[in-house]
Amino acid sequence: MTKLTFILPDGSSQEVEATAGHSVMKTAISNSVNGIVAECNGSLACATCHVFLDDASAAQIDPPGETENDLLDFAAVERQPTSRLSCQVMVDNLPDGAVITMPETQV
Amino acid sequence: MAISVPEYDGVTLEQMYDDPYPTYAMLRKDAPVAWLKPANIHVVTKYEDIMQVERDQETFPSYDNRSLMIKVMGHTLMRRDGDDHKRHRKSLERTFSPVSVKRHWKPIFERIADEIIDDLYDKGQADIFADFAAPYASRCLKEVIGLPNMDWQDLSTWSQAFMDGVGNYGNDPETWARAKAAFEGIDNAIEDHYDGLKANPDYSALSSMFEVEDPIDMADIRANIKVIVGGGLNEPRDVTCTIVYALLTNPDQLKKFLANPALYKTIFEEAVRWVSPIGMYPRKVSKRVEIGGAILDEGDALGLVVASANRDSDRFENADKFDIDREKMAHIGFGAGPHFCAGTWVARAQVGEIAIPKLFERLPNLRLDPEHESKFGGWVFRGPLSVPVVWDA
Ligand code: HEM
Ligand code: FES
Repeated sequence: MTKLTFILPDGSSQEVEATAGHSVMKTAISNSVNGIVAECNGSLACATCHVFLDDASAAQIDPPGETENDLLDFAAVERQPTSRLSCQVMVDNLPDGAVITMPETQV
Repeated sequence: MAISVPEYDGVTLEQMYDDPYPTYAMLRKDAPVAWLKPANIHVVTKYEDIMQVERDQETFPSYDNRSLMIKVMGHTLMRRDGDDHKRHRKSLERTFSPVSVKRHWKPIFERIADEIIDDLYDKGQADIFADFAAPYASRCLKEVIGLPNMDWQDLSTWSQAFMDGVGNYGNDPETWARAKAAFEGIDNAIEDHYDGLKANPDYSALSSMFEVEDPIDMADIRANIKVIVGGGLNEPRDVTCTIVYALLTNPDQLKKFLANPALYKTIFEEAVRWVSPIGMYPRKVSKRVEIGGAILDEGDALGLVVASANRDSDRFENADKFDIDREKMAHIGFGAGPHFCAGTWVARAQVGEIAIPKLFERLPNLRLDPEHESKFGGWVFRGPLSVPVVWDA
């Protein structure tokens, strides 16, 4: 099991035990962590599942694919070097204790 | 406790066509999952219930062997599920990605909008629906699908014929005949453009499906073009009209937009929420399941009423009001889940970023025509039927 910490826009945080095989997006939604909209439910079409990873996690996983990279330019909050679309990040690839920060807004 | 689905028979389809929103409000309150008898379908009207359905493709697939869409257009991506559906979506990515829209489609849409406005300018009056939004949507769509040499009026006629065919539950023979003519018309147009597109690949949907690695069958490519023809014209047309109407009837909001053109994004999304061009779309129930407190059975046909969800007061305050200052909240006018509208970024640029700013910039003192009233109609698909305007030419 991977433990993830979500930091919400109001500064509060929420710890979650993620289920293997789930994306970060699915993990947040099924644990009622607010801050992800995921209009397209993971079809890589909406950019409303934007998150910021901590530096170590971002460095450890494969970089975004072409479409994810393109879509990140259209996220509601401007992208940062560790920005990802959370529907494309599988929890299995993240280090235990990864910290995921939600942007101010997704729309 | 879960109950069997309550039946509702208190409205006629004519009343739904005129204004479905009071019925939706009543259903959300009293029977959020109901058997809407006049339409022969189970309707889901609350936001959270629709999201529950959209997050579970296995229980609620898009494929249905009774589908009129498959009968009218062939087996399009809209009636596919799982990996098969993903493969179809992938084959259209080159056309619909937001980067392609920005780099490739925007200048084309700008040119088309300018040409139509150039022709209208001196008249000083127009029906935004018939004189701008319909030709604009059709001319843009021709380019997007990759059939630029078609006549835009043919495309418009065939688009309507497909939509009528998909809704032909009454088995009207004349409607089938029109749908068949549209089917043949599109196939012939594809045939005419085939060699050119193969020789010079571009960003169009046809070209994208031809050139992708591991392409889908030609019959499926043809079916997908038909679903884009049926689903890519009315919606941008209708939302263009809705925005013009909404801004002209809310002068305070228009003033804000004129002072801050970047508001086009908010305006576009709010219009899609307020009068969702696709009001309802179908899913099938693949196993007995509870939703919104009601029990549905295997084989039941479901209508997800996104037009209602977008007015759900549990999510949107003063939901019946067009209000660009409302708290930002995602709507589901583009659907949700795997079938989330493929044309979202195209529509945002075509209508929100280009058509609306151009109309208000180029037509001085644009206002509703005091002599002629605007009209709205529809429920499965809804939008303005005419928006007569005048300006100082
Ligand atoms: C404001 C304009 C538009 C709205 C509100 C809209 C709405 C929708 C909705 C609600 C769906 C989901 C249907 C379902 O799940 O069964 C959908 C799907 C689709 N739309 Fe749009 N649409 C718009 C514009 C466009 C345009 C301009 C195009 C193409 C040029 C387009 C192409 C498609 C396609 C291909 C699908 C099927 C996606 C799939 O099944 O994976 N749409 N649209
Ligand atoms: S949920 Fe839409 S791109 Fe991730």
